[in-house]
Amino acid sequence: MHSRARILVPLALTGLLLTACGESGSSGTGGAEASGGSASGDACAPVAGEQLVVLEDDQRLQNADNVVPAVNMATAMANPALLPALDAVSAALTTEELIELNAAVDLERQSAEDVAAAWVEENVDAATLEQGSGPVVVGGSNFTESTILANVYADVLGAAGFDASVREVGNRELYLPALISGSEIQVFPEYLSTVTDELNELTNGPTDDGPATGDVQETRTALQPLAEQAGLVFGEPSEAADQNAFAVTQALADELGVATLSELADACGDGSLVLGGPTECPERPQCQPGLEETYGLQFADFRELDAGGPLTKAALQQGEVSIGLVFSSDGALAQQG
Amino acid sequence: MASLGALSAVSVPAAPVLAADAAPNPWFDPSYVTDNWDTIVGHLGQHVRLTVGAVLLGALIALPLALLARRTRFLAGPVLGLSSIVYTIPSLAMFAFLAPFTGSLSATTVLVGLTLYTLVILVRNFLAGLQGVPADVREAARGMGYGSARLFLRVDLPLALPAFMAGLRIATVSTVALVTVGVITGNGGLGQLIVGGLNANFYRAEIVTGAVGCVLLALVADVLLAGLERLLTPWTRAAR
Repeated sequence: MHSRARILVPLALTGLLLTACGESGSSGTGGAEASGGSASGDACAPVAGEQLVVLEDDQRLQNADNVVPAVNMATAMANPALLPALDAVSAALTTEELIELNAAVDLERQSAEDVAAAWVEENVDAATLEQGSGPVVVGGSNFTESTILANVYADVLGAAGFDASVREVGNRELYLPALISGSEIQVFPEYLSTVTDELNELTNGPTDDGPATGDVQETRTALQPLAEQAGLVFGEPSEAADQNAFAVTQALADELGVATLSELADACGDGSLVLGGPTECPERPQCQPGLEETYGLQFADFRELDAGGPLTKAALQQGEVSIGLVFSSDGALAQQG
Repeated sequence: MASLGALSAVSVPAAPVLAADAAPNPWFDPSYVTDNWDTIVGHLGQHVRLTVGAVLLGALIALPLALLARRTRFLAGPVLGLSSIVYTIPSLAMFAFLAPFTGSLSATTVLVGLTLYTLVILVRNFLAGLQGVPADVREAARGMGYGSARLFLRVDLPLALPAFMAGLRIATVSTVALVTVGVITGNGGLGQLIVGGLNANFYRAEIVTGAVGCVLLALVADVLLAGLERLLTPWTRAAR
């Protein structure tokens, strides 16, 4: 409670300030902000606030992009201790923890190596791991989360007796063939739906609609034959997911008493929501059309921002949009205070 | 979450601030450089290796091409045209084209691409240098019984050297800048820091370290080559 009061008081102040700004009238929703959340017709107008929360995608509109270890098949065959060690990471990792890990690097500027080592120390019991040996190279893309996860995998494999190292790689189009050949990298922290659709395109050619869905097990089942055909083995998907998600400020969620997108649709029948997202959002089936058709949400306005980047997050926090597209493991979603 | 309590407790601010400003994010941060010295030096080493490798390989290929173009006049157009066309291929596409042949993650992909890009500068400058050698000087050397190897080493090379060095200097500086695009294969030298910083919520210290590193490297390389040129052409100073 104590920490909550610490957040709420300045929040109320911010709200007042923004209300004052709204009246002088540059923003299109200024009027809505001024009259607060109680009157009908603008119940879901943006409410400023620092703390962002993701509303649960309870109808599974988004593909399940859970973190899943991808391993070269020959390497996995030759080292039976490898996959169990990576599955130990999947078993322990949650989206909340992934958010905290990202926040430690992206916001607190700690090094990815230190953050990964601390997490492995706390969450994986090295004594229970099957022991293996020999060199293993874990690939990691050049963005925070991938670097952290690659280091987590390497640390766990190190604890399991492997001589593990991390190698920075570039685009998926280039590293996926390398992982399949296994000569330069053998392990990669992948995302379930993304890699499923990518492997599907590699095998069956480009399609508009890949086999990945919002269901983890369904996607896992679709991935199995594609992986075998490509020469890859996948471990267990972890609970932690980095996928498209829709966030509101904690202040708006508290005011409306909502935690899921369905609840938001019930609470916001008056069509006063302002949506923020990337330029293509009004056309993409998993963005605005999906929210409208799957959840029955109605939007008063759409603001062109970015794909889960700094623009969207700032627009949410400053009360310019009510709901915005973010990535579910973004460090900015970390609980403050 | 308990696991990370210790990590996050240190720097969570007392009063709420914008997430992007949760920690100070200065453009210049000496502690970033000292804390990540080994990483930076590793990337710098790769940057230098790729640059030196590409310019040397480029020179080795460009010289015979320039000699050929001078000897057989009708080949000059196609040789120059081809190297220019190669230069117009976007570097991102170039690395993607090369990757299946040279290995998706190997530095060879970047090296080959960069080498091809140096050709347009090197062939042109080498050819200009060779064409600048006065025909009567070469005639006189032949008359004195110089064979073609000796003619090249004792007459063509010294006279064309300033143009050669000018080409090498431009090619080197432009290659230092181009190496950063190698990021798409994971072999971008200091470019890894620039893209890594952009992807880590705008870590300015990391971005600036990569960018300033590139600029400094280009300057140092240019100064070194200028010094080398002075050493190799003592007569240009004596004449002044």
